[in-house]
Amino acid sequence: MNFLREHSPFSSMDDTHLAHFAEHATLRFYADEDVVLSPEDGVVKRFYIVKQGRIRGERHNEKEDRAETTFEISQGECFPLAALIGERPTRTLHRASGDTFCLSIEQKAFITLFSESDSFRDFCLRGVSSLLDQVNQRIQSNAMASIGSSNSLDTPLERYALRNPIVCSPDLPVHKAVARMHENNVGSIIITDDNRHPTGIFTLRDLRTMIAEAKGPLDTPIRQVMTRDPCRLPATADAFEAAMLMAEHHFAHLCVVDENDLLIGVVSERDLFSLQRVDLVNLARTIGTATHLRTLVSLRADVSRLVDSMLAHGADSGQVVKIITTLNDVTVRRVLELNLKKDDPGIPFTWLTFGSEGRQEQTLLTDQDNGILFETPDGMTEEQVREKLLPFARKVNDELAECGFTLCKGNIMASNPKLCLSVAEWDDWFIRFIDASTPQNLVYSSIFLDMRAVFGPTDSLHRLLERVLARIRKNALFQKMLAGNALQRKPPLTMFRNFRYLNEEKKHVLDLKRQGLAPFVESIRVFALANGIENANTLERMEQLSKKGVFDAKDANAWKEAYSLIQAIRMRAHQEMLDRDEPLTNYIDPDDLNPLDRRILRESFRQAQRLQQKLEVTYQL
Amino acid sequence: MLEYIKQWLAQRRGGAIGDHDPGNLPEPKTVAEQQLSRCRLIVLDLETTGLNASKDEVIAIGAVAIEGGVIHLDDQFDLILRRPELDIRETVLIHGIGPEALTQGHETEDALLYLLEWMNGDPVLAYHSAFDQKFLEKTLKAQLGYARPHIWMDVAELLPALFPNSNVKGRGLDDWADFFGLEVSERHHAAADALVTAELTLIALNKARKNNVKTLKELAEKLHYQRRLKNMQRY
Repeated sequence: MNFLREHSPFSSMDDTHLAHFAEHATLRFYADEDVVLSPEDGVVKRFYIVKQGRIRGERHNEKEDRAETTFEISQGECFPLAALIGERPTRTLHRASGDTFCLSIEQKAFITLFSESDSFRDFCLRGVSSLLDQVNQRIQSNAMASIGSSNSLDTPLERYALRNPIVCSPDLPVHKAVARMHENNVGSIIITDDNRHPTGIFTLRDLRTMIAEAKGPLDTPIRQVMTRDPCRLPATADAFEAAMLMAEHHFAHLCVVDENDLLIGVVSERDLFSLQRVDLVNLARTIGTATHLRTLVSLRADVSRLVDSMLAHGADSGQVVKIITTLNDVTVRRVLELNLKKDDPGIPFTWLTFGSEGRQEQTLLTDQDNGILFETPDGMTEEQVREKLLPFARKVNDELAECGFTLCKGNIMASNPKLCLSVAEWDDWFIRFIDASTPQNLVYSSIFLDMRAVFGPTDSLHRLLERVLARIRKNALFQKMLAGNALQRKPPLTMFRNFRYLNEEKKHVLDLKRQGLAPFVESIRVFALANGIENANTLERMEQLSKKGVFDAKDANAWKEAYSLIQAIRMRAHQEMLDRDEPLTNYIDPDDLNPLDRRILRESFRQAQRLQQKLEVTYQL
Repeated sequence: MLEYIKQWLAQRRGGAIGDHDPGNLPEPKTVAEQQLSRCRLIVLDLETTGLNASKDEVIAIGAVAIEGGVIHLDDQFDLILRRPELDIRETVLIHGIGPEALTQGHETEDALLYLLEWMNGDPVLAYHSAFDQKFLEKTLKAQLGYARPHIWMDVAELLPALFPNSNVKGRGLDDWADFFGLEVSERHHAAADALVTAELTLIALNKARKNNVKTLKELAEKLHYQRRLKNMQRY
């Protein structure tokens, strides 16, 4: 009975319904490989719940004349749903995978429960994959409860920006525009053309600058002083996207437009963050305009505080890592800008980041992985360029270290001559990397194959990536080795679906990064590279793999969720370590988690196993 | 939830207890050609005040029925006997039944009569069955004057007989439960221990079927053979 109460849908069922189940249930045992249900058994007569062990669905593959595993059902899950509800034989052979106990009720008891219990019916109709949905809903509802309002960064912009924006035509004198802003008590005015397309924006900050710098008389037509081509987002975008765009460009206002680029509203930083009480934009702006290194260093503490309050407000882990990455990007850019001002090496370059920063998946625990890409100017050799760029890069690496980005122990940094390369050299580098795939190279794949530009022109990087992807797509052996490498790290579950701990000494410890996230990141990378996806972010890679039909949409969703949930648990653990003034690690003891989180974690690891299985099947490993 | 079910069971049994026909109890079965896949088996676990059958007493009885090769969760037996006069301080720590729970138990005679009716004379299995057999027979004799022999089988013998090559750490219930990865909800709670023993029995019966052991008689012979083998090894 305790078992039932811990598992969906029984956890949300009435006591009377649960009792009805218990009165009619039998407990059955199936040894490893025993057949539980078979299409030959005729119309399905019983409903089963796995109490312990696993059931796998087997379908015969006509082409290759062998059995294929189509699904797995583990502890707390039910079967067969479709066949029982459809009153037909099952189409899949259900076989025990390991010694398995199932609770079972007859069709009659099933029908009684199905008709009387809403939560049981919902569960059956939505199928087993709804479990993660449910877990997610619960996490979010907890988060909502702590915010105390139903607003979150997922809210579509139209909710914030429905009010009529204050607009004017381009010829209106500045003082009249300001009067209009004053009357309506707003901080911005949008300048539109005759068709209501936004062509510019003018804010109180612009007015301040105009007066302070004596840019012209107050009867100047506004089009001469407005900011042209204002940033805009469609109404379907959510508050999070708006916040990110604002943080990136240090704007406080964004235009909201419909599908024809017609203005529907304006959303301001205040609108977004009056709810969250998180001064993301302000922080990004402060970082982006800091004039001294020491200011940047002191601002890092604010980043940590911001993450803290975002987590406390229940922000989604994907959003938080992106925010950290964005703020890190802003910091890196500012360090570069400050150094360029002081001592410009005179050669244009692109600042690359690799690994987790390349994937936009940084947490508070982070070190530097960066490099430089340059186009060799006419009349110079690559060595000569390096002579100029390397001292500059060294300075930047050191200053970033002061800002809290630990120096990379493996010397994967722009100041390393091997990673400060011209386009042609990077090209050669990747050819060697892909064609001579040594074990060492495979270890580096998690760094160099997740690459992104943070500063400088992006065209040459884009072309470089295209060539790299084309080469990987053609090189089946490299893909296979990459896949083999991705399978090295197994999700920490035992045969019995319990947690497999790190080692004998650390008996109750899981490494959420290496054991939990890495199986996702590495498997997804193989699929992404093999299918020509340039984006390095794991969640976005999954999204695109699903769009391309490489992943089933349901699978992709389950994997995205599982990955995000592990990340969320990891980040929460980080914040707790910060609170206790402990050094940050990725280790947790699952016994410290509440039963729901433990369940989530186990479920998420199981999804990682499924993903790895897909990799094994795809590459026949 | 548990409370609800307990209440419900109590109601259902309420009628039965106190209304027995001691002269007309079910006939104990004998070992014969019963099909294991069909017959009903009782898996039982007792909690006692100690280990000494001549001086210690039964506190609680948990039992589960296996029929047709599956455990029927509605066919369970979970009783705490009323023994307020016993000094139970010694073992309370092991099984968690305190004096208060004891006094709420059923009148001993009623409970035992009910147990005999529920058992229906079917074969009884227990882990280290000699212990449970001794205590139960002693109690039945003392309280009811009942002394008819039942079939007893030891699950602690059954498992090594059917899984001779398994590398189990020790010989206890926990060792086998660990070996098969079973979860015990409340160890040293008669009903929970009985359920785990029954789960182990299901595993054993599954294996027996595969070894072509089909009847109760064949199973008894297998155990007999196992015992002789063990005795031979001893010398």
